Amino acid sequence: MILVKDLSFERSNRKIFENINLSLTPGKIILLRGKNGSGKTTLLKSIINIIEPSSGSIYWKSKPLKKNLYDFYNNVTYIADRTSSLSKLTVQENINIWKKIFLSKIDKSQIENILKTLRLDVYLNKRANSLSFGETKKLELLRLIIEDKKIWILDEPLSNLDDETIDIIEQTFQDHRSKEGSIIFSSHQNSGIGLSEEIIL
Amino acid sequence: MKFLNKIIWFYYREYKLNLSGFQDILTNIIFFFVSIFIFIFSIGPDKKMISPIGIGIIWTLLLLSSTLSLRKFYQDDFENGNLLIIHLNGFSFGFIAILKTLSHFLFVQLPFLFSIPIACILLNISSDKLINLLTSFAVGSLILSCLGSISSSMNLMNQRNFLLGSVIVMIFSVPVIIFSVGVINLEENFNSLINILFGILLIVFAINPWASGLCLKLSLENN
Amino acid sequence: MFLINPNKFNKVGDYLFKPLLILSIILFALGLLFSFYLSPDDYQQGSTVRIMYVHVPSAWLALLTYAIMTLYSILALAFRIPFGFIFNTAVAPIGAVFTLICIISGSLWGKPMWGTWWVWDARLTSVAILFIIYLTIIFMNLSFENRIVREKVVAIFILVGSVNLPIVKFSVDWWNTLHQPATISKLSKPSIDPSMLTPLIIMTIAFMMIGIAIAILRIKTEIISRKSNLS
Repeated sequence: MILVKDLSFERSNRKIFENINLSLTPGKIILLRGKNGSGKTTLLKSIINIIEPSSGSIYWKSKPLKKNLYDFYNNVTYIADRTSSLSKLTVQENINIWKKIFLSKIDKSQIENILKTLRLDVYLNKRANSLSFGETKKLELLRLIIEDKKIWILDEPLSNLDDETIDIIEQTFQDHRSKEGSIIFSSHQNSGIGLSEEIIL
Repeated sequence: MKFLNKIIWFYYREYKLNLSGFQDILTNIIFFFVSIFIFIFSIGPDKKMISPIGIGIIWTLLLLSSTLSLRKFYQDDFENGNLLIIHLNGFSFGFIAILKTLSHFLFVQLPFLFSIPIACILLNISSDKLINLLTSFAVGSLILSCLGSISSSMNLMNQRNFLLGSVIVMIFSVPVIIFSVGVINLEENFNSLINILFGILLIVFAINPWASGLCLKLSLENN
Repeated sequence: MFLINPNKFNKVGDYLFKPLLILSIILFALGLLFSFYLSPDDYQQGSTVRIMYVHVPSAWLALLTYAIMTLYSILALAFRIPFGFIFNTAVAPIGAVFTLICIISGSLWGKPMWGTWWVWDARLTSVAILFIIYLTIIFMNLSFENRIVREKVVAIFILVGSVNLPIVKFSVDWWNTLHQPATISKLSKPSIDPSMLTPLIIMTIAFMMIGIAIAILRIKTEIISRKSNLS
């Protein structure tokens, strides 16, 4: 569904990445691995059309991405390297707002299940800025579930999390794959789950 | 239909952010009134002196308080990534600018609209000019919201010098203020002169999505 | 061509710089000679009218600089010609200085003539705003750290601020206030006497040449600093 051909990006005469090719089809999980500063965030942002690549092209459902942006965005969730929960509001209010602005059709019991698995249910009435960093990252993944889109593009979703949480999240990835979803995520470590493809920057 | 729903829930989110407590609106209104008090104390409570400049004082305070709330416009959403999420939810950057401008007008400027009648009593402005004042104020504050959107989107990547955003708004509000205050003082031609304000509103409202959208896209690209 | 391509501009600029400098000094000398000795006194204002030969050229050039900056901003944003950004950064201070000369000379003229250093009529207010717009452009260039964002935001600001330009030009026609209306317009025969027109034109050309000479220096500096990635 997403086809990336010969993507390159250079800034100030320095090549950040060169001739990247990838193809994302339902059921695939792709890992972008590289050290800090190797261009993982830049590549992910180029795929979602926030950064203009220096050369190369991206296709969504066989049409150029730029002509098909609305449909593309309807099927993609993006998690950046910073957390987006509104810090003044409580966790419960954040969840309510997310459910409404994404027009989510997920029912309450599913959300409660995931809250329990991620161990966030005790924090429902606490303000988001009083949670620890790892917990806000887990809250961010909750947004992923609420949005309920087919393609997940995640920037360093597993960094700064403990092993137990990483296992839970990788289990979520497997569930998503079995429902014909696909994932591109970046990390600087290797991953335990079965990857369809690994791109090293 | 989905698009309309998304817009409505966007405003629900803005409402939750800006007005969810009584304290938010009240603080803005109290700030307005305390500044009027300071003006009166510094000029002297002589009624004959305050009355002619009363309308000018209200406009100045409106402008200054708009520049104070500029930080809230895009900076918070930009820094915690929500701007990107709203964009990925299906709104183009120019449209986000329009939505945000209208939400700033609704949640920050409209409370002032309700405090103007009381301010008129404090500043000894005669109440037969009230309807004219409210109309010109409504149009003028929408213009100021558009200008605030343009200047705060330009200032997103500016780490060192926050005051520059306020300077930009103030530069372009000078003609607005000249016309708005002039319109009130020339009662006979009010209907034709208010059209000049409407004209300025249309120009600024049209430039706003282009300029703000471009700056927002630029800042997101280079974050 | 040399107005768009930095390399060609460098070559043409090197070629033109010294002649422009010398020519402008000659024209300044000639213009000041004409202004002080060879042009008549005004029958109403006496000798003080001679400030006009500094005030009017600097006013014209302040507006002209902003108009050319607007053009280059459009070129840079719509047609993606990076030379436009270079031009904006380099020429903004020159425009600011011209505006400052215009304001100060106007003030010095106003006190003996109309009895006041400053008045809030339409033209003075809009020229003051033009000056602040120039200063804002200069400060923006100094405060943003990321060069790509900086040059584009400055270009957008110049375009939005170009709304001020017709206000400055036509303000004396629209509002009937203290500043005198335009005497020289392209569409009709100027109502100014040739003996006063000559020093005016000479001083205008002299100002323009020194402005271009300084602009050449600043543009070359900007090109060099971009090439070596200092900015």
